[in-house]
Amino acid sequence: MTQWSRLHSWQQTILRRSRMESEMDAELRFHVEARADDLVRGGVTRQEALRRARLEFRGIESAKEECREARGVGFIETLLQDIRFASRILRKSPGFTTLAVLTLAVGIGASAAVFSLVNAILLRPLPYPNSGRIVLPELVAPAGVNLGSEYMPWGQLQFRALTRDAHPFQAVSAFQNDSFNLTGAGEPASLDGFRASQEFFPSLGIVPALGRAFTAEEDQPGHEYEVILSDRLWRERFAADRNVLGRSVELNGSAYTVEGVMPAGFAFPRAEDMPSSFNFPAEPQLWVPLAIPAEPKPGPSELAVIGRLKPGVTVQQAQAAMDLITRHAEEQDHRWTGWFTMRVVPLKRQVVGDTRRPLQLMLGAVCIVLLIACSNVANLLLTRSLARRREFTVRTALGAGRARLIRQLLTESLLIAVAAGAMGILIANAGIYFVKTLGPSSIPRLREVTLDLPVLAFALGISLATGILFGLVPAIAAARENLVDSLKEGSQKSGGSRMSPRLRNALLVSQVALALVLVVSAGLLTRTFFQLLGADGGFNAERVLTFQLPLPSVKYAEQNRIVTLFGNVLERLRAIPGVQFAGIGETVPLGGEGESTVIRMPDHPAASQKELPFANFTVISPGYFPAIGTPLLRGRDFQETDTSDSMPVAIVNATMEKKFWAREGALGKQVGPGSTRYPLVTIVGVVPDVKHTSLREETAPEMYVLYNQNPWPSMLDMRVALRTKADPAGMTESVREAVHAIDPDLPLARVATLTTLVNDSMSQPRFSVFLLGAFGVLALLLASIGMYGVISYSVLQRTQEIGIRMALGAQRRSVFGMVLGQGARLAGLGIAIGLIAALGGTRLMASFLFGVRPTDPLTFAGVSLLLLGIALLACYLPARRAMRVDPMVALKYE
Amino acid sequence: MTKPIDLLQGTLDMLILKAVSLGPLHGYGVLLRIQQISRDRLEIQQGSLYPALYRLEHQGWIVSEWGESENKRRAKYYRLTAAGKRRFQAETEKWNRMADVIAGILSTTPEEV
Repeated sequence: MTQWSRLHSWQQTILRRSRMESEMDAELRFHVEARADDLVRGGVTRQEALRRARLEFRGIESAKEECREARGVGFIETLLQDIRFASRILRKSPGFTTLAVLTLAVGIGASAAVFSLVNAILLRPLPYPNSGRIVLPELVAPAGVNLGSEYMPWGQLQFRALTRDAHPFQAVSAFQNDSFNLTGAGEPASLDGFRASQEFFPSLGIVPALGRAFTAEEDQPGHEYEVILSDRLWRERFAADRNVLGRSVELNGSAYTVEGVMPAGFAFPRAEDMPSSFNFPAEPQLWVPLAIPAEPKPGPSELAVIGRLKPGVTVQQAQAAMDLITRHAEEQDHRWTGWFTMRVVPLKRQVVGDTRRPLQLMLGAVCIVLLIACSNVANLLLTRSLARRREFTVRTALGAGRARLIRQLLTESLLIAVAAGAMGILIANAGIYFVKTLGPSSIPRLREVTLDLPVLAFALGISLATGILFGLVPAIAAARENLVDSLKEGSQKSGGSRMSPRLRNALLVSQVALALVLVVSAGLLTRTFFQLLGADGGFNAERVLTFQLPLPSVKYAEQNRIVTLFGNVLERLRAIPGVQFAGIGETVPLGGEGESTVIRMPDHPAASQKELPFANFTVISPGYFPAIGTPLLRGRDFQETDTSDSMPVAIVNATMEKKFWAREGALGKQVGPGSTRYPLVTIVGVVPDVKHTSLREETAPEMYVLYNQNPWPSMLDMRVALRTKADPAGMTESVREAVHAIDPDLPLARVATLTTLVNDSMSQPRFSVFLLGAFGVLALLLASIGMYGVISYSVLQRTQEIGIRMALGAQRRSVFGMVLGQGARLAGLGIAIGLIAALGGTRLMASFLFGVRPTDPLTFAGVSLLLLGIALLACYLPARRAMRVDPMVALKYE
Repeated sequence: MTKPIDLLQGTLDMLILKAVSLGPLHGYGVLLRIQQISRDRLEIQQGSLYPALYRLEHQGWIVSEWGESENKRRAKYYRLTAAGKRRFQAETEKWNRMADVIAGILSTTPEEV
């Protein structure tokens, strides 16, 4: 066959379909008439001749059909025909169509919305060029050492050691967060920013939109007074002025020159990009050079490191190179043994981090909803195809092949699926909007979530897949029908072919089982949520105002000035009417991780380097515990009489006491920071564990020391907590005035009530509960619709049987019970299967749970009863209808 | 006269090509021509004739155009294309070879094996 003729034929079909159709009619008519003419010449009447001519032809219509197929374009043509026919059929039963489309649209919409999250967070590359090559070399704590987190910050010495031999990296940079007090330009503001070494921007592959990045010279001590602004800061504080380059701004009391402005949207690293133990700010607004000295002195470790691998270098190769560096360092200095282990983590894995599992949970949940929706629609179609058996039988008798019939039914279900897909996209869009507005800020990359091409393709894909999936089963079932049997049977007397009720029941049972699994999961999460609400965080969140008081390092370089400042500030704050207690501490409850350090205890000498004991090390002032509402378990609180001249004292938390002095108690024991440069302090009190990051965290040992007795960690970044008599939110202004009365250049940052911090820490579990709960409700709704449909159809089919039963004396109540019993049996089977599946399945979500076991009997029993109740409710209406069957009418029926 | 025999599978196309090769014909004419040549010894299903014609036209071996029939009716006439002619020759050769082989096989006697 030539290409041209095929094309020609196609073109004819599509453009001149009706003309070809009429030509075919004319040609066949000519044939019949010519034959009739011949017969007339043989002596037959004209009418008789035409009749015989047609008879001889044997099926003009099927010949036409074959002709259409012979033209080789039957497919498109039949498709158009099928679509027209299918849409006519669907329009004729709007109730069925609406229900089917809505059910499926909900399933498709929900899964497309969840997929858009998965796509944006897990699948799409990060918004940096060749982002696959960006890695975080992380320092890993030695095995067995609990720092409260796997990661350790880098020290300057270690970073120098890394850069000396950093062969796998094209660029590698260290950075640390810092607060910058912008002064001399209106209201002083505390800005979150980073000090970053020179290759920071090259590591990410981003250049400033305006100006230039740091040079190597600027990354030297003494030359670091250059600043790069974020697009947002540039717009908000500098009115998007392009002449800002070269301007001088005052940060922390020093003059910095504006060197560049980053492109809009760039804000690396956001808090969510890095391990939470770094406690980085939500969104940095400026960057200045880190300026590590060429020969760094030993000091606190506060750095994070990022690198860009050379082209072609794999993460494994980089890891091998890191291991080599580790070995060299350990050979040179044995004190580093075990403390310089590096792990190369792709940035993307770090960013996605903890979100992968909740997303998988959502994906699982939404798949269940989609499956239930599909099986629901399959059931609807199956039920309908039973009601349409007459139609199929007649069409088969008229010559429709089985394949043709299946195709017609598939077209109908695909049409439903496509309509549902279109509607599902709208639902998905609403869902995405909802998640973006209400989702917890801890979800990384949430702002990148959109309804983009992959999501649309996904929605289209699942629409078509579900269309075929739920369309094929009923279509094959319908086409299997025995032609003669169904013609003989009449339409509705028997319960359809023997296979169909079994299939429908199986679909229904699986729906109930799936719904049970989902609702049990939602139930477990809900219980977790309430357990968390009731969990003891070791503090009392009512009427507490907290804020951060970052100090400019230039002005407050000396420890004494800081101590004096804090003393004055506390005095002023306590003088505000309405303030009950005021305290300063390095952290506030649920305000993030604090410092952690190696400790030494004379009565617990460490056996080896690797078994060094660790504890959180928190500097506070007197009044801190009353302010956050933490009671004292034993001993005494810090007092104003504890000064730099009196005996140095400490308070420990219950975990620390239990871990180190379980039998004899901690009071009177001595403890101190790992380095012997700092003196030991005496434990005078024990407090309950105070949670730092979330109410579900495993608390680490923690020791509190006094701000005016301990000069070890920097106190430039402290938090203040105030317990008030009235609503704390209204006190912000008087608090600000009190602080500014001491130093007008001090900014107040992160002003929040403790209740807000608690709520923020609950936002992720709350969101999970909400989403999973919504999916659970959907699943229940869909399953009950399915139950209603199956039972009411079976009542309809059994009308005659019920009539006979009643005519023979069956009680209305027993008929009612019979129908309910049918529903209860199916629901019971589904629940039993679902329980088994849930017992296996919920173990996978153990890490999401708190204070409740994955096999919590209360949840399992409650959900089973709930499902049974809903199933019976769904059967109630059909059962009542069955009870009201009039025997006379039923017997006359048909 | 003996009972007409049913057409062998696949031979209808060849017969149509032959009929049309003798001059343009409409569908009914093809039917009559085949019956005439075969002296009514072949039974052709009228219903299968048209699908075959459409198939051959679709494959480019015959073309159709509307004309007037002997009794002044509008009729669709088919005629052979150059490609159709080549196809017909190839088919004829194939058929003859096959007929020879089959006839040879069928006439084989036990002694010849």
